[in-house]
Amino acid sequence: MLGAYLPIIFLVVIAAVFGFASLCFSSLIGQKKPSEVKLAPYECGCEPVGSARERFSVKFYIIAMLFILFDIEAVFLYPWAIIYKKLGMFGVMEMAVFIVILFVGYIYVWKKGALEWE
Amino acid sequence: MDMLQFPANIAAAAGVNFAAIMPEVILSVIAMALLLVNVFINSEQKAYLGYLSLIGIVVTFFSVVSGWGAPQSGFNNSVLQDNFSLFFKGTFLVSAFLTILITDQYLKREECNWGEIYPLILFATVGMMLMASGTDLMTIFLGLEVLSVSLYVLAGFNRANLKSNEAGLKYFLLGAFSTGFLLYGMALIYGSTGTTRVAAIASYISQNGMVLSNPMLVAGMLLMAVGFSFKIAAAPFHMWTPDVYEGAPTPMTAFMSVGPKAAGFAAFLRVFIVALPAMKADWSELLWVLAVLTMTVGNITALKQTNIKRMLAYSSIAHAGYVLVGFTAGNAVGTAGVLFYMLSYAFMNIGAFAIIVLVGRKGEENNNVSDYAGFGFKHPVLGMCMSIFLFSLAGIPPAAGFIGKFYLFSGAIQAGYVWLAIIGVLNSAASVYYYLRVMVFMYMKDPTEEFDWLAVSPSLALCLLLSVAGVLIPGIVPGTLLDLAQKAILM
Amino acid sequence: MGYDMTGFPFLTILIFLPLATGLCLLPVWNCRPDLWRPVALAGAIAELGVACLCWPAAAAPAKGAPAGFFLFEDYPWIAEFGIRYTLGMDGLSLLLVILTAFVTLIAMLASWRPVIDRVPLHYLLILAMESGIMGVFLSLDLFLFYLFWELMLIPMFFLIGIWGHGRRIYSAIKFFLFTLAGSLLMLLAIITLYLIHGSQTGVYTFSLYGLIGTVVPHSTALWLYGAFLLAFAIKFPLFPLHTWLPDAHTDAPTAGSVILAGLLLKTGAYGLVRFGYPLFPAAAATLSPLLMVMAVTGILYASWIAFAQSDMKRLVAYSSVGHMGFVALGIAAWTPVALSGAILQMVNHGITTSAMFAMIGMLDERTGTREIDAYGNVWGKAPRLSFFFLFFAMASAGLPGLNNFVGEFLILTGSFKVSHLAVALAGIGVILPLVYTVRLIQELLFQEERRPLIIPDLTVTECGMVVVMACLDLYIGLHPGPLLDMLHSPVAILTGGAG
Repeated sequence: MLGAYLPIIFLVVIAAVFGFASLCFSSLIGQKKPSEVKLAPYECGCEPVGSARERFSVKFYIIAMLFILFDIEAVFLYPWAIIYKKLGMFGVMEMAVFIVILFVGYIYVWKKGALEWE
Repeated sequence: MDMLQFPANIAAAAGVNFAAIMPEVILSVIAMALLLVNVFINSEQKAYLGYLSLIGIVVTFFSVVSGWGAPQSGFNNSVLQDNFSLFFKGTFLVSAFLTILITDQYLKREECNWGEIYPLILFATVGMMLMASGTDLMTIFLGLEVLSVSLYVLAGFNRANLKSNEAGLKYFLLGAFSTGFLLYGMALIYGSTGTTRVAAIASYISQNGMVLSNPMLVAGMLLMAVGFSFKIAAAPFHMWTPDVYEGAPTPMTAFMSVGPKAAGFAAFLRVFIVALPAMKADWSELLWVLAVLTMTVGNITALKQTNIKRMLAYSSIAHAGYVLVGFTAGNAVGTAGVLFYMLSYAFMNIGAFAIIVLVGRKGEENNNVSDYAGFGFKHPVLGMCMSIFLFSLAGIPPAAGFIGKFYLFSGAIQAGYVWLAIIGVLNSAASVYYYLRVMVFMYMKDPTEEFDWLAVSPSLALCLLLSVAGVLIPGIVPGTLLDLAQKAILM
Repeated sequence: MGYDMTGFPFLTILIFLPLATGLCLLPVWNCRPDLWRPVALAGAIAELGVACLCWPAAAAPAKGAPAGFFLFEDYPWIAEFGIRYTLGMDGLSLLLVILTAFVTLIAMLASWRPVIDRVPLHYLLILAMESGIMGVFLSLDLFLFYLFWELMLIPMFFLIGIWGHGRRIYSAIKFFLFTLAGSLLMLLAIITLYLIHGSQTGVYTFSLYGLIGTVVPHSTALWLYGAFLLAFAIKFPLFPLHTWLPDAHTDAPTAGSVILAGLLLKTGAYGLVRFGYPLFPAAAATLSPLLMVMAVTGILYASWIAFAQSDMKRLVAYSSVGHMGFVALGIAAWTPVALSGAILQMVNHGITTSAMFAMIGMLDERTGTREIDAYGNVWGKAPRLSFFFLFFAMASAGLPGLNNFVGEFLILTGSFKVSHLAVALAGIGVILPLVYTVRLIQELLFQEERRPLIIPDLTVTECGMVVVMACLDLYIGLHPGPLLDMLHSPVAILTGGAG
């Protein structure tokens, strides 16, 4: 029974070894030209130290919300894809309805300019 | 590996029956279409969205009418479109229709002419309709969320106005809070009965009598009552109402005080009467207290208000109390009274708000009762309309409000709640004072304004006409409507 | 009489003719100010004509009507509740209907000159009120009755509030709330009775003659009758529920006072006679001592307070409370003689007090004050006006030979067997009005002039109006026979032929 999970264990081990090995090799054979910016902790491009009460542009929130909305779509599509043969035509129609609803939202968002950064 | 087994006809097995949700489907499609149209037209053409949504409502209304008398159940009994839900759907559509008629003028005045308001109203209506026909706690919850999310936006729609922002945020916070109560109650009911279908809950309880002594079930019932009480703004869960109603854009206040309240009652009735009839002795006692508190708090606080929107907000709390009287009775007369009253309330309250939209000025100014000084003589026809609505709200014959109250209190007396009825009529007498006060200003004080900025748009005139008809016709010849209400009860 | 009236909807016309006339004013609202008064007046005169036409019908009873009714209309209205549109007229209704038409006419004439602003609305409201009052006097369905009962409040509220004086808004609201609170409890009692009757017989009806005879447990009946009594006693008004009346009267415009005193107060008494007693005979008998106490207290108290008034209108308002106390006493005794007297007294009071208010209105209009202290030597300045003032004041005080005397005499005679004490005390109440009336007349008409007021004498129209009223007073005072004949059959039926 446990044998069924053996490939997964292999995958985990290979991934761990690959990650560890890459880090080691790069630190061993890479060139080092340290600068202040390079040594600072990585914070997604933002200033790592400063006031915690900084205000973010509202655009970030819009993008985040839109991401969640359309991400749900993808999440919902995966399980559907697994069994869509069994669901047959019914499944196709239901998903089509779902996609159409999302598509309406997408067009609305697009035309409203929510996807433009400026 | 194949753990999931599907029957051959999967659609039939899932109980797919579009006839059971036809009005919802139609209205959703129209709302989505409007959303798309909205982004392709310029701001001068936004009024067309209003006309289109009116057409959509009329089409949906025909679908509602055609479903009358032929109950349709679907989606594994999670929705049931029976006369009860159809009557309520009619009420929601009426309130959405009247609201949209007064929206255009308001948006232009407040310079917030964004077309999204129309699809949002329609989506809110879809949510209400789902609540009315939901026979599964989850469906009801889904409908409630669709409704609430739309309403949060609508309450804060006038985003340049601080009070509107406050209303939106307050409504969102308290709405989310109350939803928590409701959901927790539903979870406890599910935990103690093992199902979320309202009919199945009832049959489980009747087969397993000992579950009645399970504190989980009782707590679930109580929590759901609290959740619904928030939604219908029953005291002591009414605190959000005045601020939200005062701050929200006036047409949205009209809408919120009528449609969602009716939807709350629809779901409240369905869950308590169909799912929990075995606990009637418990919940009717609870509702008795709620009704008395709601009527009294609403009316007494309304006496002191100077802002007319706030006054009508408290008055709407009091009206929820009258309706709770019929609900407490829980008999055929009382329930039919709830149905009848909510529909008449839609006409009289939105009618009154239509006048408030007219008299108000940019920035939600001119909303004090004293701003109506001399209004009745400067604009006799509008004054007469307002008087009719106010008399109906006060329950003076021959208006629909009187027949409705008569119906509710008859139900209470028949069920033996004589004291409740007495408290009800005394409250009703007290309420007359603040409605009269508006008329006192309208007719008995010298005008301070010329009211020359007043312009009645055709759609607003239509709203007033429909509202007056909706108040007077059921008031004088209520036969047809009473008949419909009696056929729409759950028993 | 020679002609058949059964098929003709006299009663519906009586109710809706005034309202229809009022609606006729709407098209000419803005454009033809010269038409407002004539149209309204024509409507009121036509109404009086129709009301008088009903008199000959009394000869033959209507088909299918309850005993005593000679005009009867009955149609289904709200079938779901068993509510019918049932109207009926017997001698009792007839007298009050004619009184209504007459007093409304007087009210219109009385506001001919003083009302100069918002004239069409004023007349529309008077006409609407006439419709409501007619409905109250003619309805035989409790729901319909209640409907009209509430409807007549609304025009009065606006009349007092818009055209009134002093604290008009306070008085208007007080009037409305007082009467509404009582009537809402009556509504609950009506619903309860309806449900009791329905559960006993399976027939759900609001019809008065369907509900009469319903077996109600005595304790319940006491509550139900109590609710009716409360509503009617407020309208009456009986001590201690009378406090709205002096305010409303004082602040109302002349037309409002005339209708209030002449008609609205009568609806309370009428309701008690038509609905209260027949529906709950046993409870009414149990509570009749209470009614009697309220009546007698009211008579004495009102006379006492009236003496201290400095405002003429307020004085007459309190005298009204006293007079209506007599009516209540007659009803409480519930003997044929006392009841006939009570009903006759309602008519008398309607005419005389309307006349008094109209006269005060005329004085007020001429001088701008109603303070008794301001006047003096009016007789010297306006002898005709003074003569009629004296005449009506004396009629109101119960001078033999004039109408009020007949009514009071009958009430006292009829009540004597029921309660010696009440009659003895009320007897004092017959004398007391003389005291304050004589004071009023003396100060007003004969005392030396205190302020230089200019009081023109009566105009021709005014003269015509008061002469008609004076003749009616005199006629009823000397020859009440026809009216009493008209009352004989309904009173006999109401009192069950007893006594």
